[in-house]
Amino acid sequence: MGGYGDVKLLREDGLRLDGRKVDEMREVKVEAGILPAADGSAWVKHGLNVAVCAVYGPMEAHPRKIQRQDRAVIDVRYNMAPFSTSDRIRPGFNRRSREISKVTAEALESVVLVERYPRSKIRVEIEILAAEAGTRCVGITAAAVALADAGIPMRDLIVGVASGKIEDTVVLDLDKAEDNYGQADLPMGILPTTGEIAFLQMDGDLSVEEYNTCMEYNLKAAREIHELMVDALKRRYIEKNGGEA
Amino acid sequence: MPELVPSLLRQELEALAANDQRIDGRGRWESRDIKLETDCLYNAEGSAKVTWGDTIIYAGVKFEIRTPWPDRPTQGSLMCGAELRPVAGRKYEPGPPSPQSIELGRVVDRGIRESGCIDMDSLCIIPGEKVLGIMIDIHVLSDKGNIFDACALGAIAALRTAIVPAERFDIGEDYPLSVSMTPTMCSFTRVGGRYVLDANEEEELGGDERIHITLGDEGHLHSLQKGLKGTFTPAEFDEILGVAQQRCAELANLVNSKEE
Repeated sequence: MGGYGDVKLLREDGLRLDGRKVDEMREVKVEAGILPAADGSAWVKHGLNVAVCAVYGPMEAHPRKIQRQDRAVIDVRYNMAPFSTSDRIRPGFNRRSREISKVTAEALESVVLVERYPRSKIRVEIEILAAEAGTRCVGITAAAVALADAGIPMRDLIVGVASGKIEDTVVLDLDKAEDNYGQADLPMGILPTTGEIAFLQMDGDLSVEEYNTCMEYNLKAAREIHELMVDALKRRYIEKNGGEA
Repeated sequence: MPELVPSLLRQELEALAANDQRIDGRGRWESRDIKLETDCLYNAEGSAKVTWGDTIIYAGVKFEIRTPWPDRPTQGSLMCGAELRPVAGRKYEPGPPSPQSIELGRVVDRGIRESGCIDMDSLCIIPGEKVLGIMIDIHVLSDKGNIFDACALGAIAALRTAIVPAERFDIGEDYPLSVSMTPTMCSFTRVGGRYVLDANEEEELGGDERIHITLGDEGHLHSLQKGLKGTFTPAEFDEILGVAQQRCAELANLVNSKEE
């Protein structure tokens, strides 16, 4: 966390700078099946963040050394487009995107029924087109919808959400300023049906009580976003069937 | 698969061409439907999304302040790059930029640069010290054929709607970038022995060489490129150039209609 201290993030009336309540998330929109070249795809807009995800496979896993005899491997690439941030990013992988790709892959492996596809590979390509804090969570949400759109069986959808702390107050879904100048950030990937957690990172400073509030906010947000994800997949299904449910 | 399918597909494409037909029912010089959206990426200073049939690309413009090259102290710079990341299709692999993506970026770059639509001297802030650099990044999200034309269209549309973030650089108020021309690209692929406009994915897979033509406002040629194995005759080029003259003018009108 940046934690520069002097920046005011809460208004006199207790609302946040963009007018949200402490437990209010940014607007989320979800679309499934937007990339014709992919086997499954999704578009998620979360506040000003935009993530697109394409899924390819299951396909033969190569090189052979990555094959697993009893299950599929999930090959995730999280990438920020050069124009996705205010300063241009040099194209290509960096330490941050590699780490996010790794932990995202492990989160998805925990929900996809990988044992159904031994010796195969499922490619998950997450592209961030616009970034404004919380892109790894938006990427996870998009990946879950794209996997479902590709017809890959999962135990549950997985939803990316985050809470954090600004001015000693726990808030849901940090925006750019709150992420830069806040005190903590707790992104999670939640299975909304069971409440299990498959993705977890955190940085900053939280008391146990504050952590518990974050957890409560994250669970609430995950259920809200889950409904939007299911809606998007249903719309896609109706579209594929020429308007018939 | 990349070896077996084309030989079967090739036979089918040749049979269709003998009857002057195409695999998706289009006429020889008929393009797929094109949808152009601009100002669609929040953090880019200029942006465009092109949906060209089932091909989808985004182009984003960013600016930077840099020191000019010593031999051109008053000139800014323009750079256009394309990324063919694995998101774009099953055939794309992760790794360093492929020769295909470098060719794509450079052909689009030349068309824009050589048209002279950007006055490089207008990008000078302090001679010898500070100039603006323009960077156009193209992101291919779904390759279903003819990404070249889609990328060229997206790049010029993003450039023509770009706003210079002068306030962020402390050099005055934001202002629209001045772009004096609308160069656009038309690509032709040899399919079943003859050239067609705007090849789709199957036609590219079972076809031969391609020719990319970028034309400016007066129908002047600004960039040409022949790609893949094959040859063509001057008469064939004359024919496709005639088609390109008409088609590029239509594409330029589409881009210009996006500006207020």
